[in-house]
Amino acid sequence: MIALYRPGTSLLHRTPAGLKVVLFMLVSLAITVAGSTPWALPLALVFVIVGYLLAGFGARELARQVFAVRWLVLFMLVAQIIFLPPLVAVGNAARVLAVVVLAALITLTTRIPALLDAIDRALRPLRRVGVNSAAVGLLLAMTITTIPVIAGFAATIREAQRARGAKLRLATFAVPLLVMSLKHSDDLADALAARGVE
Amino acid sequence: MAPAQAAQSQPQSPSEIFLDAVSVAFGDRHALSRVSVTLNHRRIGVIGSNGSGKSTFARLLNGLVTPTSGTLRVSGLNPVTEAKEIRRRVGFIFSNPDAQIVMPTVAEDVAFTLRGRGYTRAEIAVRVTATLERYGLAAHADAPAHNLSGGQKQLLALSAILVGEPQILVADEPTALLDAANTRRIGNYLLDELPQQLVLVTHDLALAARCDHVLRFSEGRLVDQGHPAAVIDRYANAVEHG
Repeated sequence: MIALYRPGTSLLHRTPAGLKVVLFMLVSLAITVAGSTPWALPLALVFVIVGYLLAGFGARELARQVFAVRWLVLFMLVAQIIFLPPLVAVGNAARVLAVVVLAALITLTTRIPALLDAIDRALRPLRRVGVNSAAVGLLLAMTITTIPVIAGFAATIREAQRARGAKLRLATFAVPLLVMSLKHSDDLADALAARGVE
Repeated sequence: MAPAQAAQSQPQSPSEIFLDAVSVAFGDRHALSRVSVTLNHRRIGVIGSNGSGKSTFARLLNGLVTPTSGTLRVSGLNPVTEAKEIRRRVGFIFSNPDAQIVMPTVAEDVAFTLRGRGYTRAEIAVRVTATLERYGLAAHADAPAHNLSGGQKQLLALSAILVGEPQILVADEPTALLDAANTRRIGNYLLDELPQQLVLVTHDLALAARCDHVLRFSEGRLVDQGHPAAVIDRYANAVEHG
């Protein structure tokens, strides 16, 4: 679900990470605030398509990113359609989809170290109130790194349960997943310490 | 060959590892009991059964574990009070490469080691590229790190540590999760090509036999040390006769 960097020389690849993040935040805010304005959604769609074309990825990559978040969007749609008129629910889901694929565009065109530097610089003023800007950036990068690991744990648990003929139950799935995740976080903490991260 | 790469390929003089009556306890459990040894060999093997204390010994060297009592010096440094410097000088790789990957892609993970060391982005890029080429990972530079094979992940873990040019490499069962081909590949690299001093914790007695000096731990004590063939022979006898 989280896109990883693809090498390239496009305008978006060359744009500084900090500027991209600020632009993304402004556009996301505009998409959210514009809400039910009729032109907001088509404009967001155009912005997303132009962004992917500018990055040199094209329609196929955009489709791949949309497909990657299909379950999230479907879940949002189903949850809202119970309480809201269908058109509003579709509009809300489409706005979230636009923001998510734009976020993917940033990670597709920005190396994580550049993103870490940008986050570090942006949060540096908050050091006076005790915020460790480098640690916040590292936390975000490690979240991206760890998601496929946790997904791998989930697949392993399901395989082990299937091998023993067990049915999928929340407790028998969640508890081992939690234990494996905590063990992984312990190991990762040791690895970070060994690499000199305080 | 890049200067950093050339410097890394020259065999380095071993540092001194000194322990005097070092003990480590976790609550009531004694993981190490009064271990005294001085080591200045290039290839040091550490063997023993599960729970014998060999991993605790390895972790002491990088400051991941602190002694409960006794005196410990690595390269003249105290890993407790000089932890930051020790972690620059002593690289550490674990048995599970998945638990060592910090950044999403291969190149980013190697570059992570060099953050905060005063290098420019261009210098980091040069060092990362040279390191990935050296360990045969250049073609995977922008690939998701977790998509690599087990052997490639362990090579990535090695690259990520060695790009920082440590003086000593401590490897805690680095081949435990690898198949035979990758065990041979990683083992050959560590024992034959690595310019740094190596402390290799292993259950693989064939790898231990290729070291210059072997330590054997049992129940938290250093019970034997010396020439690999002799130590391994006595260990095999001890296992055989219970």
